[in-house]
Amino acid sequence: MAETIYDAVVVGAGAGGGTTVRVLTEKGLKVALLEAGPPIDPQKDYKTHKWPYDYGHRTAEEGGAQYFRRGTDYGFFTTVSGGWQLDGEPYTVAAGSRFTWFRSRVVGGRTNHYGRMSFRFSAMDFKPWSRDGLGWDWPIGYEDLSPWYDRAEKFIGVTGTVEGIPSAPDGIFETPPPPKVHELLMQKAGKKLGVPFIANRRAVITKPKNGRPACHYCGECGRGCLTASNYSASQVDIFPALETGKLTLITDAMVREVEIGDNDRVTGVVYIDKKERAEKRVRGKAVVLAASACETARLMLNSKSKQFPNGIANGSGLVGRYLMDTVGYGVRGSIPYLENMPRYDTSGFGGAHLYAPWWLYDQHHKLDFPRGYHIEFGGGFRLPGPGAFHAAARKYGYGKKLKEKIRQEYGTSIGLSGRGEMIPNNQSYLDIDPDVVDKWGIPAPRFHFKWSDYEWKQARHMEKSFSALIEACGGKGLRQNNAVREGEGISVPGSIIHEVGGARMGDNPGSSVLNKYCRSHEVKNLFVADAASFVSNPDKNPTLTINALAWRTAEYLAEEMRKGNV
Amino acid sequence: MSSNFVSVEALSRRDALRRIALGVTAVGLAGRIDRADAHEVHGQAAAEKTLQGEYTVRYFNEHEFRTLEKLSELVIPADAGGPSGREGGAPEFIDLLCSENEELAAIFSGGILWLDHAMLKRSGKRFVDASNEAQTAMLDALVRAGAAETAADTAFDTNDYKRFAMYGVRRPADIRRGLGFFDWARRLIVDAYYTSPAGIEDLGYIGNASYSEYEVPREAVEYALSRSPFRA
Repeated sequence: MAETIYDAVVVGAGAGGGTTVRVLTEKGLKVALLEAGPPIDPQKDYKTHKWPYDYGHRTAEEGGAQYFRRGTDYGFFTTVSGGWQLDGEPYTVAAGSRFTWFRSRVVGGRTNHYGRMSFRFSAMDFKPWSRDGLGWDWPIGYEDLSPWYDRAEKFIGVTGTVEGIPSAPDGIFETPPPPKVHELLMQKAGKKLGVPFIANRRAVITKPKNGRPACHYCGECGRGCLTASNYSASQVDIFPALETGKLTLITDAMVREVEIGDNDRVTGVVYIDKKERAEKRVRGKAVVLAASACETARLMLNSKSKQFPNGIANGSGLVGRYLMDTVGYGVRGSIPYLENMPRYDTSGFGGAHLYAPWWLYDQHHKLDFPRGYHIEFGGGFRLPGPGAFHAAARKYGYGKKLKEKIRQEYGTSIGLSGRGEMIPNNQSYLDIDPDVVDKWGIPAPRFHFKWSDYEWKQARHMEKSFSALIEACGGKGLRQNNAVREGEGISVPGSIIHEVGGARMGDNPGSSVLNKYCRSHEVKNLFVADAASFVSNPDKNPTLTINALAWRTAEYLAEEMRKGNV
Repeated sequence: MSSNFVSVEALSRRDALRRIALGVTAVGLAGRIDRADAHEVHGQAAAEKTLQGEYTVRYFNEHEFRTLEKLSELVIPADAGGPSGREGGAPEFIDLLCSENEELAAIFSGGILWLDHAMLKRSGKRFVDASNEAQTAMLDALVRAGAAETAADTAFDTNDYKRFAMYGVRRPADIRRGLGFFDWARRLIVDAYYTSPAGIEDLGYIGNASYSEYEVPREAVEYALSRSPFRA
């Protein structure tokens, strides 16, 4: 039997890979999709609608693993797959750096459980260097990506309202649900302080779309949604693509390297079949990498050949470089006058119903940091799980008083989290660890990372503005720490799970890896469809931009293929 | 109240019913269920609330289990808002976890031995056999000792469920065996109660449900606004 040669081989079944295979199969192309993890069966794998008491362990997991920091990261219900460490798949962190890496090995990847915040980059975000001389401009502008944001939003479904705020461009929106009580209070506090809280933009549908029923407001999106009322690459992109008959999904396939032929074209990929523990190969006329930014950079660096001794398409030496995460910092407080408030269901569509886009975008000349952040928040009557009342137990002892206090204070806490833009720097990158290989025999990545003063100062601004907002709400119990350690005064790099960069796009092959269509400058049939292509990391959660860029790249690839240019 | 200690193997009616419930859940295209089915799943979950029942004790001996039952009644006593931690299934929860985790089992078995030893010294009786006054005096002493110990508490100073996995676990020095045990027992009793149907009802949590429209009730808005700095 002749070996199948696919039109395209796509590596990674998350937001980028999912979008790519859906678009390519709609165009009639024959596609192979490789996923390092298992297939997913939402019926079995999502814990939608379950209660803690459905499990003897009440979600503390076997032997109370959660109490010993051995449980599922983010909780038993929340994470569909993956974690900060995967058995037998190590990564290393260089001395002097901290970095933590969350990987999901499963069809749909992290989109099965992510926060679904969906923000467009703004015109300013694409040209940061032109504004303040830091970092680099993207080779595309807002006008280039805007039509693809339109397509992505129309297809995925994103809530929001038209606001006309330059730092947060409007899109094509689903009707958002109304604000909850603590959100209304924060909105009023924001008004006093000049911070605009507007309807949140999340990838949730509030009306039926493409056979997907509308959200039913159970509020537990992080578990995965059985009705596919929020976006996940698995249910929204990949399952429909499979129904076309054009897609071959190969799971438990850990790609080891991209293979190159004599003519500087890639011929396919070599992967480890994890179940058989055997090396296999799949061939294609084009290869699209969408393994997640760090995994894509690692794969490129590990794909060495005589043409590319430093990794495929790495003539610039920039593969793995200018890795970025989002700056995170949070402040928690409580609003005492909410005690004994009449109970209502604060679940809503699973996240905050409001958020604040960056509001000082034209005030940077007065600030000691160059880039902005947006504010996310939490609060309300949350589903209790293990740990929910440990602080109260410590504080109030035991017995009747403890029980009464828990009842009284339930739902009074509120938290604000900043999500800010970091400036790419040359101390933040990944390379290949010279000594460590994973259990598939593939060399492991090694991370180097440094926040600069820009990020630290931004975090201090978050601290001040969040405290002011909670105070303006009539809240108390704020924690001001001014800490200078990562994990206390600023998030640990990688922990916001917005890692982007490592194969940035640009017009100049000497200073970028990909061109403006996310096609390799050097290898004409090699493309990237994940966040590795990002030139900067605006304060916008990256998934919607991954969707939009991947859609644009997939259409470009299909068109170039039709013209015979691939 | 007599003990819930069950030493015979009992067929789990609950498990059997759950299997039937899962079997009737409609599966749509590509593993999705539609909104009507979502309502049905919620209904099944609600029906299961009534199916809590027989549990076969796996790890503790009868005396230990009875001690946990008593502690569960003392830490979370029944009141007008809801039943006790014992009725919230705390002893069974702790037993299950201890049957799966030697480290936790040692904390509880050792802790109960410590507690009985301390009580015998104080009042000449083991904890479960002592008077209610003696029991609460013991717990009050532990609470006072805990309050005096100020170090390393900040790791617990959060009730953010999603960050729960980031919690540290304090391992007290040997001389504080009793204090460490009491902290563990109290945390697990509180967790068991507030994750039980009764505890969830006590709190008034009404989410994880299914609606066609999401609304915020006027009375909740008015309650908050009228007490806020933004009142008219």
